[in-house]
Amino acid sequence: MNKPNENPVAAARSAGRNALDESAGKQLLSSYGISVPQSRVAKGVAEVDAVMNGLKTPVVVKVMSPDILHKSDAGGVKINLRSAAEVKAAIEGMLNAPKIKGARIDGFLIEEMAPTGHELVIGGLRDPQFGPLVMVGLGGIFVEILKDVSFRLCPITRIDAEEMLAELKGAAILKGARGTKPASIEAIIDVLLKVGGDNGLLMQHAADISEADINPLIVSDTAAVAVDARFILG
Amino acid sequence: MTTKIRMTILEEFTPLFAPKTVAVVGASTKGNALPNVFIRRIREFGFTGDIYPIHPAAAEIDGLKAYKSLADTPKPVDYAYIAVSGAQIPAMLSAAKGHVRFAQVVSSGFGEVEEGKNLQAELADAARAGGMRLLGPNCLGIYTPRGHVTFTEIGPKEVGPVGIVSQSGGLGTDIIRRGMSRGLKFSGLVTVGNCADVTPSDLLEFYLADPQTKVIGMYIETAKDGRRLFDILRNARAVKPVVILKGGRTQQGLAAAASHTGSLAGDDRVWVALARQTGCMLVDTLDNFIDTLLIFQTLTPRPQRATKKVVLFGNGGGTSVLATDYYSRLDLDVTPFAQNVIDALAELKLPPGTSITNPVDCPVGTLQQDDGRVAEKILDIIYSKGKPEALVMHLNLSAFVGRTKPEVLDNLVAAAMRVQEKYPDQSHFILVLRSDGEPTLEARKREFRDKAVALGVPVYDEMANAGHAVAALATFERFKAARA
Repeated sequence: MNKPNENPVAAARSAGRNALDESAGKQLLSSYGISVPQSRVAKGVAEVDAVMNGLKTPVVVKVMSPDILHKSDAGGVKINLRSAAEVKAAIEGMLNAPKIKGARIDGFLIEEMAPTGHELVIGGLRDPQFGPLVMVGLGGIFVEILKDVSFRLCPITRIDAEEMLAELKGAAILKGARGTKPASIEAIIDVLLKVGGDNGLLMQHAADISEADINPLIVSDTAAVAVDARFILG
Repeated sequence: MTTKIRMTILEEFTPLFAPKTVAVVGASTKGNALPNVFIRRIREFGFTGDIYPIHPAAAEIDGLKAYKSLADTPKPVDYAYIAVSGAQIPAMLSAAKGHVRFAQVVSSGFGEVEEGKNLQAELADAARAGGMRLLGPNCLGIYTPRGHVTFTEIGPKEVGPVGIVSQSGGLGTDIIRRGMSRGLKFSGLVTVGNCADVTPSDLLEFYLADPQTKVIGMYIETAKDGRRLFDILRNARAVKPVVILKGGRTQQGLAAAASHTGSLAGDDRVWVALARQTGCMLVDTLDNFIDTLLIFQTLTPRPQRATKKVVLFGNGGGTSVLATDYYSRLDLDVTPFAQNVIDALAELKLPPGTSITNPVDCPVGTLQQDDGRVAEKILDIIYSKGKPEALVMHLNLSAFVGRTKPEVLDNLVAAAMRVQEKYPDQSHFILVLRSDGEPTLEARKREFRDKAVALGVPVYDEMANAGHAVAALATFERFKAARA
């Protein structure tokens, strides 16, 4: 699917990295037809004006560093920025943050804010005996506290994807419980198949990807967008 | 190997399941070692092929001519049973070049202990060099009624439909003994121990292809070739029911996982996923395993009308209520009849105390009417008007024995069988015989159970056991309906 020079997994491998950074992760998802927010990378404050040209505000800025695993905790994420000036101020603030100061910095990811919707998590894992597995769960407390997730062995079929969602204890929430809009089940199944299906991402990169998290996947009543993604190689 | 035309799996495993020649390594001239017991058992089990005791010095063992090595036997060896100390086995196997088809190493002290890991690798290499398939080490043997070979003291002589592979030898014995008393009949049972070569997946492939086998049971502790197991099950498209009893369903190899997904995956989730995706049934206990195998041995799954609506019929009001709750938790539907069914049952004018909704609760006073033949009228209405997918008839024996004529119980089941025949394919019929452990009651129950099993009726000790088995049947039917 990817030409070798466009394959972010191969690129990260040859650079000796054990994970994909957020930008490379989204590039990988995008190459499998999964929607990600429009984004650009600015090396520093000087590039912000040019980069902001093609993006719709509001945007979010995230620091890109191989040394920083939890960007929010380090103060490396600023959301809801409405102008180039606000973006520049945010980047300058980050460069002075104690946990970012000493880190190697590859740049700053400037990304359009995703529309609101249901938060889901889609994950991947390579089991030593069984090979790649795909997971889905509802975001937030459902996955963190209640561990309300379902797993399947890759490759999954459409029926498997449907059953995975139906199996979640919080499945009714996706249908629009308590006055919220329903989530597009079709859009979630589409992402599950692109990640865990027959020619999906996890099968194609089974030799390289040991763990994957798309968290959150924001799902409206019409579409699903992968807002953050982590891929661990090995 | 790769240049050879690959044999079909049936051809490959026939020497194991129906060997013409059996070699036994480890039998002593005094006749008291485990291999001597094995020789005695297969003779008692009707094995009529050649038996070759292997012994470095003796001319004769147990009245059979002995040979110095596995390579020296007059005919090639289909199956070799080996129970001597581990260190001497690899040399023995590699020396038998092309002369042995299957070698089962019963001995322990291999991969199951740290210091035996190298020896196990050596053993596997030797088997490969000797051109044979290796079963074990650290197992008990094989039970194959079609081949008249068994490692067990008892086991049904007839060939049946249940094919078993077990990673535990002791549990394999339990499956045969307990299964036998419940009416299970086997197409084979192979204990594979540490699986240095042949794995449960290999035997799964055999049983799937084997025309004698109708249902497959696997006891698995570790699946080193998990991906292959998944692929075989997936490609089989639930052509035969597969029941998996999985030991060690705990966190495994995932402690170091760095991501969310990693920390949420337990080994158990893999097995649950495997079951959901391939239609095999995952069970937790030996009882559940046997209960589930029994229902598939006796009943034919009906994907076109997957089991959901269940009618409970028998004596014991509290038992009915508890079972209704329990079955509903198993996603089975024990809901009251429609009015037309209730009206038709009411016309029978059954004695007071009889409940004619669903569950149908009939005190013994009702059931002994017409010496039990009343059941035929009740069941006829239930079948023709209530149209259940499964009917569980439960009889509390302590309320019958000594209080009714002995033939009442027989008449009740005979009545049910007549209704089964009158409405073929309407409903699965399951019998629960409840007892309290009192010896005469247990004896009556055993006798009665054997009769029912002979008629092709699955019999359970309690409502919950039957419920789990029916739920497994329903799961299998639904899977086939949706996917196969």
